[in-house]
Amino acid sequence: MTGIFPWLILFLPLLAAAGITLFALDHRAVSARLSIGAVVISFALSVALFVHGTRGETRFNWISLSDGAASWIVDIGLRLDPLSLMMLLVVTGVGSAIHIYSYGYMHDDPGVGRYFAGLSLFTFSMLGIVLATNFLMLFIFWELVGVSSWLLIGFWFERPAAADAAKKAFLTNRVGDFGFLLGIILVWAVLGTMDFGQLQKMMAANPALIGNSTIGIAGFLIFCGAAGKSAQFPLHVWLPDAMEGPTPVSALIHAATMVAAGVYMLCRVHFMLAADALEFIAWIGGITALLAALMAIQQNDIKRILAYSTLSQLGYMVMTVGLSGVGGNPSAAMFHLTTHAFFKALLFLGAGSVILALHHEQDIWKMGGLSKKMPVTFWTFMIATLALCGVPPFSGFFSKDEILATAQRTSPALFALGVAVAGLTTFYMFRLIFVAFTGPVKSQLPDHAHESPAVITLPLVALAVPSLLAGFWGIDRFYASQFGTGEAEAATGWVAQLTAPFAHAPGAAFGGLAAVVIGFLAAFALYWNKVQDPLPAMLGVVARWLRDRFYFDELYAKLIAATQDALATLADFVDRWLIAGLFVKGTHGSVELTGRLLRLVQTGNLQTYSLMFVAGVAVLLLFMLIR
Amino acid sequence: MGLLSFLILCPFAGAVLIALTPRSFNVLFRLIALLTTFLSFAAATWVFFAFHPGATHVQFEEFCPWVGALRIGWHLGVDGLNVALVFMAALVAFAAACCSWEIKERQKEFYLLLLVMTGGILGAFASLDLFFFYFFHELALVPTFIMIGVWGRGENRNYATFKMTIYLSLGALIALIGLIALYVAAGARTFDIPELTRDVAARPIAASAQHWIFPLLMFGFGILVSLWPFHTWAPLGYGAAPTPTAMLHAGVLKKFGLYGLLRIALPLLPEGAQRWLPVLALLCLGNLLYCGLVAIRQKNLNLLIGNSSVAHMGFVFLGIASLSLVGVTGAVVVMVAHGLLAALAFALSGYLQNQLGTLEMEQMGGLLRKLPFVGTLLALAMFAGCGLPGFANFAGEVMVLFGAWGGHTTVVVLAAWAALIVGAVYMLRAIRTVLHGPLPEKWSGVADAPHAWRKLPFALLLAGLLLFGCVPRLLTDRIQPAALTVVRAVNGTPAALMATTQLPR
Amino acid sequence: MNVGLEHYLVVSALLFALGLLGVIVRRNLLVIYMSLELMLNAANLALVAFSRFNHNLDGQVMVFFIITVAAAEVAVGLALIVALYRKRETAHVEDLTTMKF
Repeated sequence: MTGIFPWLILFLPLLAAAGITLFALDHRAVSARLSIGAVVISFALSVALFVHGTRGETRFNWISLSDGAASWIVDIGLRLDPLSLMMLLVVTGVGSAIHIYSYGYMHDDPGVGRYFAGLSLFTFSMLGIVLATNFLMLFIFWELVGVSSWLLIGFWFERPAAADAAKKAFLTNRVGDFGFLLGIILVWAVLGTMDFGQLQKMMAANPALIGNSTIGIAGFLIFCGAAGKSAQFPLHVWLPDAMEGPTPVSALIHAATMVAAGVYMLCRVHFMLAADALEFIAWIGGITALLAALMAIQQNDIKRILAYSTLSQLGYMVMTVGLSGVGGNPSAAMFHLTTHAFFKALLFLGAGSVILALHHEQDIWKMGGLSKKMPVTFWTFMIATLALCGVPPFSGFFSKDEILATAQRTSPALFALGVAVAGLTTFYMFRLIFVAFTGPVKSQLPDHAHESPAVITLPLVALAVPSLLAGFWGIDRFYASQFGTGEAEAATGWVAQLTAPFAHAPGAAFGGLAAVVIGFLAAFALYWNKVQDPLPAMLGVVARWLRDRFYFDELYAKLIAATQDALATLADFVDRWLIAGLFVKGTHGSVELTGRLLRLVQTGNLQTYSLMFVAGVAVLLLFMLIR
Repeated sequence: MGLLSFLILCPFAGAVLIALTPRSFNVLFRLIALLTTFLSFAAATWVFFAFHPGATHVQFEEFCPWVGALRIGWHLGVDGLNVALVFMAALVAFAAACCSWEIKERQKEFYLLLLVMTGGILGAFASLDLFFFYFFHELALVPTFIMIGVWGRGENRNYATFKMTIYLSLGALIALIGLIALYVAAGARTFDIPELTRDVAARPIAASAQHWIFPLLMFGFGILVSLWPFHTWAPLGYGAAPTPTAMLHAGVLKKFGLYGLLRIALPLLPEGAQRWLPVLALLCLGNLLYCGLVAIRQKNLNLLIGNSSVAHMGFVFLGIASLSLVGVTGAVVVMVAHGLLAALAFALSGYLQNQLGTLEMEQMGGLLRKLPFVGTLLALAMFAGCGLPGFANFAGEVMVLFGAWGGHTTVVVLAAWAALIVGAVYMLRAIRTVLHGPLPEKWSGVADAPHAWRKLPFALLLAGLLLFGCVPRLLTDRIQPAALTVVRAVNGTPAALMATTQLPR
Repeated sequence: MNVGLEHYLVVSALLFALGLLGVIVRRNLLVIYMSLELMLNAANLALVAFSRFNHNLDGQVMVFFIITVAAAEVAVGLALIVALYRKRETAHVEDLTTMKF
């Protein structure tokens, strides 16, 4: 019976998307019900699979070509193991909450049907990534996720900013996918298969393979894909712009799930990443975490702050994958991915609740004093913030602690960087809280704000629970079972679990906590009861750099203009003036010129003709007579 | 009469019927065209699904001797190479007939020519006789020129018609010289392609002859498919052509050159192919990368689609040049997919032209609000064009890239750049400027496709793309045996996959 | 002096050359036309001379044909010239260039 469950989980959202597109595009209630129903049933089935403890693979053949000896086979299959089971729960669970929230958030939008169709398509694609059994299937769903993200970022397509952001997101992802696809081809070309199971067996049977330079290159290329989707430096520029989409979309796609796909994929193929590639990955992750955290402290748009925070946390996860070492255990990254999904989705949904109450005002310097007006939103937001900062006993504490502990073991430089990022995280999050939720009211808007309806607050509460408690549920041990390294015996009991990090790796735990305290104090000193940002005055030009995101967008715009656009202009010039002009029109012109020259002989004057005729006869006669 | 004869003769019968109908029965012309193309489509669907995948022999074969002395015969049949093409051609022809509602003048002549073109196309793809293969192609080409010249649009119409006519006639001429040279060099006593192939396999043509005959065929057929640098007729011609003509030519008739390469040039001239296909692999970058970049700069939607259509031909060239099973199969898949896609894209741009009176992209914007159906389909077509999974193009393109990796690694890297990034840039730019953004005041009166008849051609073509995109085995299983035969004939070895490169230490 | 075939032929050639010269250099349609007739009659003269000296009547028969056809031609040609003159008020070839590209 459970054999059909994974297929149902995967295809129900697709059916919902197709059904809405074909029949219910103009029926807001029907479309919402279809979409929500599909994801909730998927969630229920995922829970059933999880409880049942199903493992294994099912598949059917998609393309198969064979010359009798070698073959090229692509399957569409489903792979159930701890990694994918947990991700299923995250995607469908967080997804369910956000789908329901969306119904409240998007209620008055005329395009609700289109919205839910896109959301269901996204869920389908994301589940496909999670369940994929081979590289090409992963790539297929990878692209589908990209396009559903494009659909949803550009949902309000009449706004130029949203349309541009959608385009930018898709293209930046495509740059990563370019490397990813080449990596996949390279893997197939040297190893003859794209199936994860077979590749893993091959690697296990022949450990020397992993040191091979070609496979090393493949690892780098595959990481390009992850860097695109998880918005790692230098492909991070699309994520903040993606906040032009509706807020629930930002929560689901650009915070909780899709952007985590890169991390998930790295964990999925972790067995074939070589030491060089891993070190590279770790540093890219670290740089992203630091850069994004720095940029976050000077943003004023509530969603953009959260977006940079997402970037920074993704950098953490990627860094952890890199630090886990060849054949190591990247479960800390997955653990942080999971907890991050809960609390970051919650943060975004809370921000959405605020935005809705303020009639789509997103500037935190026009808010203030919202904690009294919107208590549920405020307290759930607070829980998520504490989790993000890594305050015990919130879930983020445990996952961040594991990351810092990993870094401490392997790379002191990245450990220092990680602690600094933790401090910055606390700083910008409490800056947000102090400015937006407490302190004086900074415009008239918050005066009329009131708490959002239950359809919005209930998902907030639902997500607050795992944000608070997920650290105690043994998610990390569940992930660790995937990678087969016997973790230390788990502590039992709440208190023992809470103190375990301090006993295991005291440096990491206390370092992290110290960073949190410093960050909090700094934020308190600077932003408590303020109506204006004091930092620009203090930092001067540095603050402008931070606010303008280190001018990466401008740099890229120049770079693209200087390379690809210049090439395109050149190609267009050659096409227009050289090929179609010089060669084609040139041939045409020279033929015509010859014609015109010959025409001069044909005067149209009969008398000239007769003269020539006579001359011709005379010549002929002469010729005949002389001979 | 066999099914294939039926599906070829149906449009011709319709053309005769239209010729006999008095001019005042305007509705009847359209009805006859719809009915006959639909019958062809139904027959082709039957042939496609009844085709037994996996078998190497020719199916639905029909033979009837015609000129005994020269051994020319009415020989029809489908194998993996052309079964899907025949199906695709019939589908596009039906869709083109549906889209012909925009023609309001001289309907009798238009539908007559449309049916002759359709019959010619179907005949060219289903014929297994060299004479009819070429004859039907020319029969389909002539109406193309007339249709563009008479019903075309834009001030460039005459120039475009002349350019296209001269280019295509030149290409067909060079190919004809190649075919005659091939016939003479093979010392053949028959025009029957399977028989010829068997003869040549037993007594190969001298290598020195192959080396100069193959380029004749490659460039002759290449010009017909807008091989770089002989491509500039295509965007211009399609921009000027009436919608149904652009659909049929860009979608289907263009594939004749590629089909000719696969059916005749490669199996009959293996030595020549070995020498010249690397050149083709380089030239395909001209299509993929160069024309893609040119497409980025276009300001007119039709020119953009035309250039992208030229760019897509690069994948087919690369797949053929790869000489591997995966690559050649992928090339045929791309041929089918591109046929449906090009027809869809030109049908949609034709609709826009009809509604807006212009295709200058700068004047458009925000049209998705006014055109939910057409706009959505245009967006989907654009995504299919930049290789989104779920559409048949992705399956074909990815196979081409895999297949060509072993022999042409650098080309594949650049081709992947062209496919994933350059393609996405111009397609998304088009969506951004045409469909997204604020709606200019003057387009507030624009109307979406009003009823099912108008929507049908778009929906059919899209359904084809999605069907083959989601279940590519429908194509690959049918193509595989024939592709294997071609690849083996050229390579001379049973191994055809060109898979693993050795791991360096 | 004995008049032989050569004398006739020389006269015929001179007449022909005169006619040809007239056709080539004159600009008046009517004069060109007359020159044409001159050439025809030069040919007639040659034919009659040959016929006389070769004791063969075929040449004279031929001449009758030519005279008949020439008469018809003159009728048509003159009619055209007159019509043209009425329309254009000129019979000068350099003024009649409507058909020239």
